[in-house]
Amino acid sequence: MSQLVFSLKDVCFSYPGDILALKDLTLEINKGECVAIIGPNGSGKSTLLSLLDALEFPQKGTIKFLELEITEKRMRDADIQKDFRKRVGFVFQNPEIQLFCPTVREDIVFGPLHLGIQKSIIEQRLKEIADKLKISHLLDRAPHQLSIGEKKKVAIATVLIIEPEVFLLDEPTAGLDPSTTRDIINVIKTAHNNGKTIVISTHDLHIVEEISEIVHVIGNNKSIIKSGKAEEILTDSDFLQKNNLMHIHIHRHFDIKHIHPHIHSKTI
Amino acid sequence: MKKKKGDFVERTILGIVSFIKETIFSESLSRKNGFLQRRDARFKCVSAALLLLAILFSKNILSLFIIYFGIIVIACFSSIGLLFFLSRTMFFVPLFSFFIVFPAIFNIVTPGEPILSFNFFNWEISITRQGIDSAAIFFFRVLDSISVAILLVLTTHQNILLKTLRIFYVPKLIVMIMGMTYRYIFLFLDSVIRTFISIKSRIGFVQSTKEGQRLVAFNMARLWLKSYNLQSQVYNAMISRGYTGEAYVLDNFHYNWVDIVLIFMSLFLLIGTICLNLFFL
Repeated sequence: MSQLVFSLKDVCFSYPGDILALKDLTLEINKGECVAIIGPNGSGKSTLLSLLDALEFPQKGTIKFLELEITEKRMRDADIQKDFRKRVGFVFQNPEIQLFCPTVREDIVFGPLHLGIQKSIIEQRLKEIADKLKISHLLDRAPHQLSIGEKKKVAIATVLIIEPEVFLLDEPTAGLDPSTTRDIINVIKTAHNNGKTIVISTHDLHIVEEISEIVHVIGNNKSIIKSGKAEEILTDSDFLQKNNLMHIHIHRHFDIKHIHPHIHSKTI
Repeated sequence: MKKKKGDFVERTILGIVSFIKETIFSESLSRKNGFLQRRDARFKCVSAALLLLAILFSKNILSLFIIYFGIIVIACFSSIGLLFFLSRTMFFVPLFSFFIVFPAIFNIVTPGEPILSFNFFNWEISITRQGIDSAAIFFFRVLDSISVAILLVLTTHQNILLKTLRIFYVPKLIVMIMGMTYRYIFLFLDSVIRTFISIKSRIGFVQSTKEGQRLVAFNMARLWLKSYNLQSQVYNAMISRGYTGEAYVLDNFHYNWVDIVLIFMSLFLLIGTICLNLFFL
């Protein structure tokens, strides 16, 4: 039987000013799964990842991590906090906010240093990750001097170096060129092949069809409206179109305008 | 191309960009292989504290001037350009200390031997020798103190400095605020630049400084809210990677005999200043 990593039951969360972000959300994520959370803009995907990373706490309902309920009070315990941060890594949607040190090197080692990982191990991991992500030449640069693609790679490196069991990735390929997108997909696939649990929030269905086995769709009602295997959901064009997750392609073949829905499927 | 004087928005953008460049340049100074950059940060902080005490106890302009000269020499040996250092220390010090010290030169605040007297609505006011002396001592104390602080910051890597402050039991909250401020400043400035560029793209050239200020004032509230959200996001990103308010660095501290000599020299200077005050002044 697969081990349950995250278990959410009837989770509700609102931002100040009664802005509803999630409503009665129930979800289970097993160890080693690669799960995609998809949904239109403003559906609460990023909020869900913040809740999974214990940065926000639900006003109603429960979130359990490895059978232990995550509460604000419990996370105030320094040992629990440290253990949780070692096990769960979060790559934020905006790499700018994740890179806050004077140099890329310091940014990458920030996490493991704070989590008490031995310095010799950190140095070894830093070298390996910098080589793997081809960012060795950026280590002494200031983060705000990097391109968006480089920033995203560094942001991923800041989490990879912690070697968490669970990766939470918020829109990991948004706004990136095809080559950087490919590099990042490869990193995610490698982590998954190494047994890591991956939770990706995205509306880039291309990466969903390539790396995710299970898809949960959050609708405009701020709750999960459909869950299932990636192939089943990505081939349901009517459902995707109804929920703003699929667009219509218009392109020209010589002088003929060609219009068709943008289909995502591993079989087509 | 020469910038038009009234283009307030553009001048603000250029000002922020130059501040960012200067900050990056300052940060790069701490990685140079100069005299102070090679020193152990803990010893450097203690030496700076002793030097500040010596400046505080000094009541003699000549000794304060000698200390300032010594600071400049050390700055030069630490690969810090003389003009860069002087511009950083000499610009703000006269500006702020002048307003503070100005009343002290008059007999109303510091009675003494008049040098220059004038009549102000039948009220005789004099500039006194004692007033000028105390103003000059104040000026040099501020100049020396700021120079020591700037030299310490320029030659010590930000994270190492924060870590050192924690070693000396500076409260975690203060170190946390200092660290957060540095981490957040670039994001904030980036946000300011974007706001100003968007103003410019919508309204084009701003005719007058007054009009520019009015437009900027309208956007300040929005910018404040944006910056508030940004800082909470940065804080969350730090928490997510195990931040607890402590400062950690990858490099270990190393000291040698030069660091010990530096501390003894600062201590000697402090004791010398106290003795000079007690027995000769």
